[in-house]
Amino acid sequence: MNVSHAPIASLSAPNEQAERALAALWTRPPGLLGWLCSTNHKDIGRRYVVTAFIFFGMAGLLAAAMRIQLAFPENHFLGPDLYNQFFTVHGTTMMFLFAVPIMEGFALYFVPLMVGTRNAAFPRLNAFGYYAYLGGGLLLWGGFLVNAGADAGWFAYTPLSGPDFSPGHRVDIWADMITLTEISALSGAVVVLATVFKQRAPGMSLNRIPLFVWAQVVTSFMIIFAMPAVMVVTAFLAMDRLAHVNTHFFNPAEGGDALLYQHLFWFFGHPEVYIIFIPATGMVSMIVETFSGRRLFGYPVMVLSLIATAFIGFGLWVHHMFATPIPLLGRSFFSAASMMIAIPSGIQIFCWIVTLWTGRPRLRVPLLFVCGFILLFVLGGLTGVMLASVPLDLQMHDTYFVVAHFHYVLIGGAVFPLFGAFYYWFPKWTGRMLNDSLGKWNFWTLFLGFNLTFFPMHILGLHGMTRRIYTYVAETGWGDLNLLATVGAGIIALSVLLFIVNAVTALRDGIFAVANPWLAPSLEWSTNSPPPAYNFYNLPSVSDAEPLWHSPEQKPVVVGLSTEKREVLNTTIMDAVPEHRYELATDSIWPLALGIVVTLTMTFVVFTPWAVPWGMFFSLLVLYAWFWRGNEPKFIVEAAKPKPQVAAQPTLVAPA
Amino acid sequence: MNTAVIDVSRLPPAVEDHTSPIWWGNLLLLFIETTMFALLVGSYFYLRMNFTNWPPVRSDVSLYQTDPDLGFATANLLVLIASCVPMFIVDRACLRLDLRSVRFGMAAMVLIGLVTIALRFFEFSGLKFRWDDNAYSAIVWTILGMHLLHLITGTAENLLMTLWVWFKGLDIRHARDVRVGAVYWYWIALVWIPLYALVYLGPRWL
Ligand code: HEM
Ligand SMILES: [Cu+2]
Repeated sequence: MNVSHAPIASLSAPNEQAERALAALWTRPPGLLGWLCSTNHKDIGRRYVVTAFIFFGMAGLLAAAMRIQLAFPENHFLGPDLYNQFFTVHGTTMMFLFAVPIMEGFALYFVPLMVGTRNAAFPRLNAFGYYAYLGGGLLLWGGFLVNAGADAGWFAYTPLSGPDFSPGHRVDIWADMITLTEISALSGAVVVLATVFKQRAPGMSLNRIPLFVWAQVVTSFMIIFAMPAVMVVTAFLAMDRLAHVNTHFFNPAEGGDALLYQHLFWFFGHPEVYIIFIPATGMVSMIVETFSGRRLFGYPVMVLSLIATAFIGFGLWVHHMFATPIPLLGRSFFSAASMMIAIPSGIQIFCWIVTLWTGRPRLRVPLLFVCGFILLFVLGGLTGVMLASVPLDLQMHDTYFVVAHFHYVLIGGAVFPLFGAFYYWFPKWTGRMLNDSLGKWNFWTLFLGFNLTFFPMHILGLHGMTRRIYTYVAETGWGDLNLLATVGAGIIALSVLLFIVNAVTALRDGIFAVANPWLAPSLEWSTNSPPPAYNFYNLPSVSDAEPLWHSPEQKPVVVGLSTEKREVLNTTIMDAVPEHRYELATDSIWPLALGIVVTLTMTFVVFTPWAVPWGMFFSLLVLYAWFWRGNEPKFIVEAAKPKPQVAAQPTLVAPA
Repeated sequence: MNTAVIDVSRLPPAVEDHTSPIWWGNLLLLFIETTMFALLVGSYFYLRMNFTNWPPVRSDVSLYQTDPDLGFATANLLVLIASCVPMFIVDRACLRLDLRSVRFGMAAMVLIGLVTIALRFFEFSGLKFRWDDNAYSAIVWTILGMHLLHLITGTAENLLMTLWVWFKGLDIRHARDVRVGAVYWYWIALVWIPLYALVYLGPRWL
């Protein structure tokens, strides 16, 4: 195996003129407006990741404030009303505005590169998805800033969230922002699936797809079957609450049912956890493979585990409802299923360990985060199996034991891999390397701070401290452990700050990254760092699962795509045999326009049902403009014109 | 070192069938929407468990008869099923790039769409409850309403394609778009069969 740091010559432009011509075709129009109209998957993926990271920071600040409030008994930093808003907005932001979108962002950036194509499928839908997401974020936080922050918890159970117990518009804002973020998640899922189904490099049959891509495929399917549930349930809730609509879905007096809310919510809510966690396992697989320098052990088993997790993941939702009157048989079934899901996760962990064990591991920063992940996720998984047992859950339900459990799986299982992924892919993304020793500080402070914050919560939970309380009296004896947790949260904040410092200094004057700094096997490393607008000058073909480890220069390359239109190659679904060419849409202003219309609709529907027909009318108008070809503002048309110096695409790279 | 090449310039620049990404994109959208309707059906049965009479009785209605009216609803169902025929004819005409048939067929589809939308409004008046009367009426109005939204988007999409073929003609890519729209329309008609049975026949037969 001889791997090179350099870009693969056969995939790069033969000369500068050819490179400039193709770049002109694929580059977005200049200026801020051009940036807003971009449909390039790299622009969009980056937007998602940066925005989601900012939301992570803001939700983290809320967490810090909550920890300050809880540091001492009978503290007066936050009152009960503010505390309710803080934990609700924290949880909602972390789940809907951080964890899911950031994974989606990584997918949108890297999936097209990993499967060897020039842009994601449905570029305009992709651009629109981001604006819907941003609109949702602005709605939630805008409400929060004008003292209408959601305050009924991140799952907003009825009857608490219903019209009788939550007057005002706080819950309406919450419900409507959910719709916006789910529109975004769904469009991202469709884009990812169509890209993977139809745009893989020739030869990339199902057994050669990188595991990160597999993970994103499985996740996207889960999104497609899970997200409609939360859209339905929040729509029911909004209709129950909205003046002049006033339905009775959840009103027992009129035959409605509060438990229906819980069923629908958790039919989405449990798979949601896997929608966050499965992409993280994809990241872990890529990092483990690269840094152990050997092919991943048990690739087919890994893929099957992902699929099994997805299936079982839909059969667990009732474990969130063990404390409600569910028939005994139902409880036993869901209890067993909840324990069963540990099997595929366990298998994956064994495969990673075997890969590391039998390879030649290099303990660089990304791998460090992965090791942290394995440890913490196993701990979170263990408490998960404990909670899956009904009698135990009845004791722990709604205590800090649960808070500890889900932060172990969410932070251990997703945030650690995410930081690993940042260190791993940052060079590809920006063309600069993050600093190694700062990275180690980043890791150790996060690891220490995290355990200091959340480990004591297990004990607090066992001692009876319930979640979502804004304070407690000294006699409970919970003060010391709470203070410890608050100190830990401070260390986490420091760690995140270290990361930001690292990223900013790297962007300003970090060392330049080569194409393949880690000697990794997958296609995103075959092109420059950062990749050109068109990704690959000649599209690659593959004949194995680790294309860059097996004489990549010798593999055939794809030539003959248009140099005048943004064309991609479509291949067959199973075996990726070239099938036809496909012209992608140009950059466009209409996705932004639609994003604005949809956001305004969901904002006004907080107040009046008439927002729906009006919103539909304006959306259809915008969609007509969107699909009517040749209907773009002038600056986009100009930018999309083929440049005169475009020569025919050379069919061969210079023979050596 | 000599690199072999895979020259794709001879491959077709566009296709009209299910190998096209947009065909798959549409299919995935239909998965989403089918899941949504399945959840509405699940909610329907869940809420039903709270009622001894479904639909609930009303003392001010003769014979306490509150089953939803069948007239307009059945007419609409038949129109929807029948509408698949002209849609299919347009679908086939697209394969031949037969501009004339597509133009008139699409115009007919828009008219049919408007008829189904109008009939749906009459269906609402055949329900014996307002949406805000009880949980039964909430779920039934929602099922009818969500399907109405699809009738509107489907018809709007057909109108867009009609305008395009009348003003701009027909090429392979737009023929493909019409065909993808046809799949959407078949789905709109198909899902309504079980939903109609649930809403209108369910209270009578189950
Ligand atoms: C960065 C460090 C974090 C700290 C210090 C932290 C701290 C907290 C605290 C103090 C609560 C409120 C507990 C209560 O009063 O019941 C909470 C709730 C929650 N956190 Fe975090 N958290 C962090 C990160 C995250 C992340 C990364 C996620 C998800 C990806 C997350 C998801 C949640 C959720 C879903 C809730 C429940 C909200 C509710 O009860 O409705 N947290 N967190
Ligand atoms: Cu769960």
